[in-house]
This record gives sequence, C-alpha cells and structure tokens, in this order.
Amino acid sequence: MEDADFSDDFCRFLQTTIPAVDAAELLLLLRRTPDRSWEVAGLTAELRPSVPIPDADAARYLETFQARGLLAVEDDRRMRYRPATDELRMYGDMLALAYKERPVTLIRMIYALRDSRIQTFADAFKLRRG
Amino acid sequence: MDMFKVVLYLLAALTSIACMVLLFRGYARSGARLLLWSALCFVGLSVNNVLLFFDFVIFPTQVDLRPWRLVAALAGVLFLLYAFIWEAE
Amino acid sequence: MIDFLAGAATVGYCVAAVFFLRFWRKTADRLFLAFAAAFLLLAVNQVLAAVLEFGDERTPYVYTLRVLGFLLILWAIIDKNVSGRRKNPD
Repeated sequence: MEDADFSDDFCRFLQTTIPAVDAAELLLLLRRTPDRSWEVAGLTAELRPSVPIPDADAARYLETFQARGLLAVEDDRRMRYRPATDELRMYGDMLALAYKERPVTLIRMIYALRDSRIQTFADAFKLRRG
Repeated sequence: MDMFKVVLYLLAALTSIACMVLLFRGYARSGARLLLWSALCFVGLSVNNVLLFFDFVIFPTQVDLRPWRLVAALAGVLFLLYAFIWEAE
Repeated sequence: MIDFLAGAATVGYCVAAVFFLRFWRKTADRLFLAFAAAFLLLAVNQVLAAVLEFGDERTPYVYTLRVLGFLLILWAIIDKNVSGRRKNPD
C-alpha cells in the first residue's frame, strides 16, 4: 500500500466499525499485539493515561469489532486481533497507515462519518449496491 | 370494494416485509447494528400488518386480534427507538 | 391494558417520527421525510382506533390511514431506487 487513501470501502468500514477516535486507538492496540489475548480492563489500562477510555465504552467498541469479525474470542472471554477475512485485515492495515500518516484527516473523517451514520439506514433501501 | 381492500392491506403487509428484508440485508452487508434493530422493528410491524390483514380482510367479524397486533407494533417501535437512541447518535 | 398498549405505541410512533424528521434535516434524504410522515399516520391511526368503540363500523376506515402510511414507505423505497444514486456526504 503506497498511500493512506480514504476509499469508499474504507470509509464504509470506518462508518460501521469505528464510531469514535477512541475506538480506533483500541483497535490499533489490538492490531499491534496480535499474539496477546486481552481483557477489557487490560486494554483500557494499557491505553491510559494518554487515551483514557471508560471500560463500558471499550466493551461496546469491542462488541462491535467482534460482531464485525475482527476479533477472535477465547474460552475465557479474552480477545485477540484476528480479522476473519483478508478484506478486514486490509482495512485494519489502512487504519494504521491513516493513523500514522494522516491523523487529522482520519479524526475528521471518523466524526463526519459518525454523523452520517443514519445514512446507512436510508442506503439499506437501495436495491443495488450504491 | 372488497378486492380493493384486499390489495391495499396486502400491499401494506408486503411493504413492511420488504423493509424488514432490506434492512436485514443491509445488516448482513455492513454489520451496522442500527440496521439489525431497525429490521427487528419491521418484524414487529410486519406481524402487525399480517394480523391486521387477517383481522379485517379474512375474518372481519369472527376474531379480534387487537391485543396481539398492539403487542407486535409496540415491540417493533421499541426496537426502532432503541436503535435510534443507542446506535444512530 | 389494551389502552395502555395503544397509548405506548402511539407515543412510540410519534417519537420515531420526530427522529426521522431530524435525520431528514441532517441528511436531506427524502426517504426520511416519507418515513416521518408514515409514522405520524400510524400514530394518528392508533389514536383514532382507540377512540372508536370496538365494532364501530368506521374502524376499518381508520386503518386505511395505516395502510396509507405503508404505501408512503413503499413510494419512498421506489423513489430511492429510481431517483438516481446519491453519494454519501463527505
């Protein structure tokens, strides 16, 4: 990947999966440590003090990641980063790249997309994929 | 007149079922839970409309399904409000 | 109990309609306006149905409001698919 590009597909990923900048921090931490399995409290402790996320918010983000197929959950409910598809892995990589190279654009994008989240409701009524 | 009524009520039921299907499809594609809850809303409204069809068109005098219709509608709308409050903001 | 359920459903429809109006203002997508109007019709239908006694011969007419609401949604879906593609706002 040569450029931190915000393609339509990547934006759709952000819109459905990354509701806040904190969620991006959380996913990136998981991505940096694919060999380690985490509990919610461990993740939030690791991100403090630079990124303080309430455990309840973190749990909600993790639930979203999990529903999206980005995490593997182990027997003791610990989680590790394991995208279910190559596509998801690519979005994770794009997120890391965007975070590194174009953080301001990424942050603006995450909040702009969150505001237009309800647009996914209207778009669901398109018979062809828009 | 009766045929007209049948078509109208049927159309309403089919519309709500179509909404349900499209929203479930949207959820399957995007994983956005907003769409899952919205789809569940239209499950409730579809049940409501199908019952309404039976209540007024098929058995207009024999049965009163109103309590069941109301329960389905209320459950549906509660799903939708949950979606809007927790997932859309 | 029935009155309670009907009341709760009415309030629910109204709140949903208000949400749809807000989404319409936010996104300028006509689909939301149609949904708002449809849910308002459902609310009016619910109120009128509660006002009329059971067995009142006008009851079925009240429910045409409900049918109208869903026809509005149907129109909105068709409109969404024939009026060309809208790009997501940036």
